[in-house]
Amino acid sequence: MEIKHTALAGTLESSDIQFTLSKGDSGVEINLDSQVEKQFGKQIRKVITDLLAEYGIENVKVRAVDKGALDCTIKARLIAAIQRATDTKNQPNWEVLG
Amino acid sequence: METTINLKDPYYFKQWQQLIQSEGLFIENLDDITETIGIYENDKLIATGSYYENVLKYLAIDPNYQGGNTFNKLVSTLINQLATDNIFHIFVFTKPQYMQSFEYLGFNVIAQNDFSALLETGDYSIDQYIEELPKVEGKKISAIVMNANPFTLGHRYLIEQASQNSDFVYVFVVNQDVSLFKMSERMQLIKEGTKDLTNIKVVNGGQYMVSFVTFPSYFIKSRTDVIDYQTALDAQVFKRIAQALHITKRFVGDEPYSQTTEIYNQTMQKVLPPEVELEILDRKEVGQDIISATKVRQAISDNDLATVKKYVPETTYTFIKENIQTLLRRIHDGN
Repeated sequence: MEIKHTALAGTLESSDIQFTLSKGDSGVEINLDSQVEKQFGKQIRKVITDLLAEYGIENVKVRAVDKGALDCTIKARLIAAIQRATDTKNQPNWEVLG
Repeated sequence: METTINLKDPYYFKQWQQLIQSEGLFIENLDDITETIGIYENDKLIATGSYYENVLKYLAIDPNYQGGNTFNKLVSTLINQLATDNIFHIFVFTKPQYMQSFEYLGFNVIAQNDFSALLETGDYSIDQYIEELPKVEGKKISAIVMNANPFTLGHRYLIEQASQNSDFVYVFVVNQDVSLFKMSERMQLIKEGTKDLTNIKVVNGGQYMVSFVTFPSYFIKSRTDVIDYQTALDAQVFKRIAQALHITKRFVGDEPYSQTTEIYNQTMQKVLPPEVELEILDRKEVGQDIISATKVRQAISDNDLATVKKYVPETTYTFIKENIQTLLRRIHDGN
C-alpha cells in the first residue's frame, strides 16, 4: 500500500504515542523520540516495522513521539495513522486487525 | 475538556485575556490568530493556545496546572487540530525557558538566543529544506534575501554587485503571499530580469527566510523590542542555512525608509560575522531619486506607468503593463 498524504494519529499525553506518517522514497524511515528509547526503543521499532510490513507499506517516513505507550496503544495509533494516510479509513484491514 | 474558543464573544475573550495576561504575554493583534483552543476544568479556563497558519502562539497555563500533563495535552490538542486542516509542519516561537518542554514533545530547535527560541516539528524540517537546495562549488559564495515586490532596478543592481564579487550567488525569495505580487510572479520577474547573469540561482526562501515564522514584524507592525529579538532569531536561522551552503557573505541594500529593515540590518551585523560577512550597499538612484519597490507600488496604484518605468527593468515593466488591471484590483481588494 502507498502513503497518499501526511496523516497524524495519537496524542502527546502520558502513556500515548503520536504518529506522523508521510511520503517517503527510501524504504521505511523511522524517527523515534522516546524517553524509554534505551529500554524499549528496539521493541517499539519492531512493532512499527512489523505492522507496516503487514500493511505492505514499503516507503514511508514515520515520525513517532512516544510518551510511554504500551504495544497495543502503539499498534492502535499506527493503524489509525496508516488508514488516514492511505485513505482507507472505511476499509479496515481485518487480517491485520485479527 | 478541550474546545475551541470564540474570541469574538466578549465572555470568552475576557477569560482568555485574563489567563494570557496573568502569564505575562502581550496580546499584539487578534488578526494574527487563526484558531484558539482552551482546556476547561469545571468551567474554568485552565490552559489556552492559538495558532496562525502553522505557528503556535499565545500558549498559557494557569499556574496551578503547570508542570503536569496539561502542557502536553494543550500542545497535543493544537497539533491534532492543525492536522484536521492538513497542516503537519508546525513552528513555535517561545521563551528559552520553555524550550525544553517543547523538545520533550518532539520539537527540534531551529535557533535560540537569550530572549527567544524557534522550534519546529512534523513532516518537514530545516535540514530537509537545506538538503533540497541546489548545491554549488566555489570559494566565494554569497547570498541575497529579497521580497522583490516587484523586482526593480535597485534589486537588479544589488544582484549585479553580488554577482560580480562572487563565484556564486543564491537569491532567496521571501515566500509569503501577503505582497501585491504573488510569490510565483516575484520569482518569475527576478529570473527574467537576471537571465544574463550566469552565476546566480533564484530559490524559494521557504518558511525559513524572513517569513511569518521567523520574522512576523516584517509584515505586522510591532514594538521595537519585539523587532529586536525577532530579527536576531531570523539572522540566526539565516546563518545556519548559510553555513550549511558555505555562504560567506550576505549582501543587503541600505534602508533609508523603513525602521524595521534598518534594525534588521543592524542585528545582522551583530549576529552574522565573522563566519558570514555582511555587506550593506547604498541604494541605487535614478537621478537624485532612490529606487524603491514601495514607490513602484504607489505608482501602480496611481495607474502611472511612466513612473513605474523609471524604476524597473523592461521585463518587470512589461509584466506590470500587461497585468495592470489585475494589480489595481488587488490593491482595491486590499491584497
